Amino acid sequence: MLLTSVILVLQETLEAALLFSILAVITLRSGGRPRAWLPAGLLLGGALAFVYALNLRRISESFDYVGQELTNAALQLAMTVAIVALVAWLGRAGPWNTVAAQRDRTVFNGLCVLVIALAITREGSEVLVFLSGFFTGAGALRAVLLGSGVGFGIGVSVGFLLFYGLLALDREGRWRSLPLVLLALFSGNMLAQAALQLIQADWLQAGPALWDTSAWLPEQSIVGRLSYALIGYESNPSVAEVVAYLAGAAAVPLAYAAGRRSRR
Amino acid sequence: MTTTRHTIRRWLSTALAGLALAGPAAAKMPVVEIEIRDHLFFPAEIVIPANTKVKLLVRNLDPTPEEFESYELNREKVISGNSQAVIFIGPLPPGEYPFFGEFYPKTAQGVVRVE
Repeated sequence: MLLTSVILVLQETLEAALLFSILAVITLRSGGRPRAWLPAGLLLGGALAFVYALNLRRISESFDYVGQELTNAALQLAMTVAIVALVAWLGRAGPWNTVAAQRDRTVFNGLCVLVIALAITREGSEVLVFLSGFFTGAGALRAVLLGSGVGFGIGVSVGFLLFYGLLALDREGRWRSLPLVLLALFSGNMLAQAALQLIQADWLQAGPALWDTSAWLPEQSIVGRLSYALIGYESNPSVAEVVAYLAGAAAVPLAYAAGRRSRR
Repeated sequence: MTTTRHTIRRWLSTALAGLALAGPAAAKMPVVEIEIRDHLFFPAEIVIPANTKVKLLVRNLDPTPEEFESYELNREKVISGNSQAVIFIGPLPPGEYPFFGEFYPKTAQGVVRVE
């Protein structure tokens, strides 16, 4: 059970940790402080994850047994919308580093809280449900908690690695738009995952798989899992997922440009 | 530029064709039942027809939760203990599509054979 819980918790932590680090770098870059949104996002996300996990059965059985898919799709769609709104705010706020404190950051911080909370709700609830199975005295609890701790630790470390890496690149003035590019890919990833949930619920037609790279880069490999968390890699995506991914990713630069145009 | 435009056009037509093909054929969807007992899938191998959408009805008879997961099928769903879940799969080309229980992957293993 030890290894299983390491992998499971790592997988769930990774996506959120990478998102945190990208948002934190963007916040610092635009003259804000991650401290302004991180605690609220963690708390709200933790509370929502708990509520979701507690009501999972009822949610799953609603809507002819596809309530879980619809809830997840709604969470991911809301994340995409919040990310797009956040980028539009950045575009409107002005060039990097000059945004500074004179602008009202309430909207930006609120959107960051929302994005983080939504990410934790989905990933956290899954971990909570997994752990709940071992609190009934099944015996493996210690191994599972140890494994979960290790998985969580590795996930957070990778997040910090990305954070300091992006920050270092930024200080050197290289690849300065990389955090925004990653955010665009994340947005595409979320919309594609929302599409996948709707396909699983039979609310959306998938269409044929567009390609298959499973022999070249299997999703279950370490690089495959990392790519899944960072850019939403999938080895055999359907038409609907690819279209959703492209739309979600394209929305970010478009929102930035729109925000910029509305600047005075 | 022309090749890019050509590729985009081909993608779009593929997308539209896919949507049209997968239209309202859901009238008589086959239902396949799977049970989870002692962290094992029963049956561990199911056979479904090719190019047909199928409704999987997964009953978890264990008191512990499980997560039905498959990389090949692109499916992932948490199933509470003592409850059941519905997962739609397909239409799929013939082949073997392994699935597993992410919470107990050492024992919970299965495969969907499409023929």
